[in-house]
Amino acid sequence: MKIILILLSLLPILARTQPNCNAFLYRGDTLQYRACKLVENIDDKYYQFSKEFQEAYDEALKICPYFSYAYREKSVAYLKSGDFLTWKELMDKAVQYDQRGNLGYRGWCRYQFFRDYAGAIADIEKLDSLVHSDIGTGSNGDYNLDIAKAICYSALGQKDKAVRLIEEKLKEQNYHVGLYDYYQLGVIYFELKDYDNALRSFNKQIEINNLAEPQHYIAEIYKLRGDLKSYGEHHTLALSLFESNRRLFDPYTHHSNALFRKDYD
Amino acid sequence: MKAILLVFLILCHGCHHAQQIIKYEGNVGETAFDPKVDDKDFTLCNENWTGQYFHFTSNSRYIDRKAFIDSVFFYEFRANPSAEKENGLIRIRFIVNCKGETGRFRVLAIDPGYKEKTFHESIVSQLLRITKGLRTWQIQKMNNAPADYYQYLIFKIVNGQLTEIMP
Repeated sequence: MKIILILLSLLPILARTQPNCNAFLYRGDTLQYRACKLVENIDDKYYQFSKEFQEAYDEALKICPYFSYAYREKSVAYLKSGDFLTWKELMDKAVQYDQRGNLGYRGWCRYQFFRDYAGAIADIEKLDSLVHSDIGTGSNGDYNLDIAKAICYSALGQKDKAVRLIEEKLKEQNYHVGLYDYYQLGVIYFELKDYDNALRSFNKQIEINNLAEPQHYIAEIYKLRGDLKSYGEHHTLALSLFESNRRLFDPYTHHSNALFRKDYD
Repeated sequence: MKAILLVFLILCHGCHHAQQIIKYEGNVGETAFDPKVDDKDFTLCNENWTGQYFHFTSNSRYIDRKAFIDSVFFYEFRANPSAEKENGLIRIRFIVNCKGETGRFRVLAIDPGYKEKTFHESIVSQLLRITKGLRTWQIQKMNNAPADYYQYLIFKIVNGQLTEIMP
């Protein structure tokens, strides 16, 4: 379990790994190879928000105007500063030149940073139509994109569809369950008032990754059923986990269905 | 020959785009003091470096204030019937200085298609007023010294109603 958590925590770093420049050369694309070489290791050299960082990628684009990785890298500082306008212009370029490589990332960001549920679904479904293997995860590794898509459907009120998508994903052979998959599934069941399946999902979640949020919902289900002893136990556990920072966390924004201190009162 | 011409045109188009985005005043999102709109009494500790809200890992992070911030906006914001067709995102970005004060507010807005948009005045003025009135921002430290940092709030507007606040 610990190994999985460590690997998952590394995913955001892995997701930002530069492309292998030699791969462009192997395909005979010398323009893209030269652009790629120009910005090799540039992420370690310059602050992502700096003008030097942006200028380095502009130089790469002068060599190769269809070097999609440059548009994507340039977009990140705009994303993190909430400039959805410039971010989208740059990411549209990245997608234009490499749909398979960038649709998933753009879709994920539309969800994670802007709660653009319909836009995220459109990008993820478009990607799904192009790839024949696993669709991949969001850039921070927290959710498989199919799970993210289901969360978006749930936010748009299509909760039965969201449940079906998550249950199907969890049944896939070789699928590596995400850190919060069962929690999100449990919340949707809870909203549908299907408390048996909600409880099953939250219990599964705490087996995989014990957090304050699923414990809180388990407590609520016991309260609804009049089992005040179990309610008290799980409520105390939820508070204790919350105070120990064992909760949904994202350094840039908040998770869907995140709970805050007042929710435990 | 036609193929060469086509490649040339594609390259020129790309270069033109690259040249369009080459001018940078400073770091991405840097907000210089503008005497026409900014409070002259709002000062920074360090004019040379302003962090981003996510740079800080102390226990007093933005996310710990999120529920309070939500409650203030959802309580105070009033949808205007004449703005009921308004949809999109509004970002208000500002600086929290080393004393926990806020200033240099900037507004950016888009429609659901990510095109720049001017929202109904009643929506923007309310959000700006409430944002300027928030006193929840924490003093953050970098190398044990109080630091200035950028913070933003993104408001999702659906049919004139405030529905979500990010980040």
